Amino acid sequence: MATKPAVIVVGADKGGVGKTTVSRTVLDYFSANNVPTRAFDTEAPRGTLKRFHPTITEIVDVTSTPDQMKIFDTLNTAKASVTVIDVRAGLLSPTLAALRDIGFLDAARSGQITFAVFHILGPSIASLDEIAETANFMSGAKYFLVKNFINNTSFFEWDQATYNSYFHKIKDATELTIPKLNEMAYEQVEVASVPFLKFVANKGQRDESANYSFVLRGYVRHWLGNVWGEFDRIKLTDIVGKDKGGVPTKTTE
Amino acid sequence: MNRTPVYIVCSPRPRVGKTLVSRLLAEYLDLENKYTTAFDINLNDPSLIDYLPKLAETASIDDTIGQMQLMDQLIANDGAPKVIDLGFHAFDSFFKMADEIGFAKEAERRGVDVAILFIPDRDRTSQRAWGMLQDKFGNATLVPVNNEQVLLGEIPPWLPADLLDIALLPGFLKTYIDRNTFSFNSFLRTSPDRSSELYQWILNCFVRFRELGVQLTQRRR
Repeated sequence: MATKPAVIVVGADKGGVGKTTVSRTVLDYFSANNVPTRAFDTEAPRGTLKRFHPTITEIVDVTSTPDQMKIFDTLNTAKASVTVIDVRAGLLSPTLAALRDIGFLDAARSGQITFAVFHILGPSIASLDEIAETANFMSGAKYFLVKNFINNTSFFEWDQATYNSYFHKIKDATELTIPKLNEMAYEQVEVASVPFLKFVANKGQRDESANYSFVLRGYVRHWLGNVWGEFDRIKLTDIVGKDKGGVPTKTTE
Repeated sequence: MNRTPVYIVCSPRPRVGKTLVSRLLAEYLDLENKYTTAFDINLNDPSLIDYLPKLAETASIDDTIGQMQLMDQLIANDGAPKVIDLGFHAFDSFFKMADEIGFAKEAERRGVDVAILFIPDRDRTSQRAWGMLQDKFGNATLVPVNNEQVLLGEIPPWLPADLLDIALLPGFLKTYIDRNTFSFNSFLRTSPDRSSELYQWILNCFVRFRELGVQLTQRRR
């Protein structure tokens, strides 16, 4: 039986909260677990995600009908069973509204498609309002609230009680935490423009051997291991239809 | 394939003889091998460099750049033995960082033999630190050091029986070797009396280090 197509939307209405970083870790995770994946970068015309994963990423304008067709009309025919969409700042709610309008959310609700949303939370109270807004679209979807600490040591300006009051309003939302990564290691991966996994393996964009610092690679490996630990915890591969029997995902080759 | 030894001389306690053991070891390795390097990681009071200005350099693990400069040298299989005098202030942060970046595993992969010379006191801090090293760095060669000046013949029960012994020196000789200008190798070369207590003490220490080197080599076989 063919695997049911899965769509993972990574987004937030606020900018600079690490949407693309989380998308990159998701793509690396699926790569490590041999899950065929394609990605769409909605940061047109310049795509950050495409810079890191050029071979599997296409830049699209998710608000245009032709590009919506390119993404959603090919779900059943694409070689990759998983589609990751990195939604640029400000477009999460409009994208979800568009998905509702084209009947995609109904298809997810009826079980024809697996649909998951990684909602990246920022430090401001506005992020909490986003949760309430986004939650309206989440019936039939797996909804993950991602606290992204990658660039910050003390992150959230709102208190836990306030957050909980929002969090508990949403049925079946799951919380994820992306830990902090050493700043210099993060910068070096940016400069190298390679997936985290290739950086750890000391490889360049075309798999040529590179000369990254062992210390920085070590920090990235450790961090990526923790991020993937979170993905293992929520059984992300199971969600997209690949049961790996609870085996932890390794960050080494 | 040639392998490169890296010796980390450490303790979570101050004033247990880390710099003395580092000096002895660096001078012994320098006698055997002309390319020895020593690193002085003492946050407040670097002193190895005062004794061995030609062999030692200061290193810092306070920031990522310092960590890169140090650790990228430590995992180089370049045939040059390395000695790290790890100050007690830096003990926790060094091993936390080393564990996080996978130092022991990468060293093993690249042909670098890591020996951790642990100088314990009899307190709980030392016991906890020894447990941590066994837990996180079991792949490295762990060498507890019995500095008789510290343990005074009472080996804590949580330590193994075979320790690397550094015998107690009389106070006047300790003062003598603590001078910045004193060199163990020079003393061995120039001492007219090979039966003197200091000569024999240095020789004994060097024999222990040679045995440790053999142990490291045999561990690979």
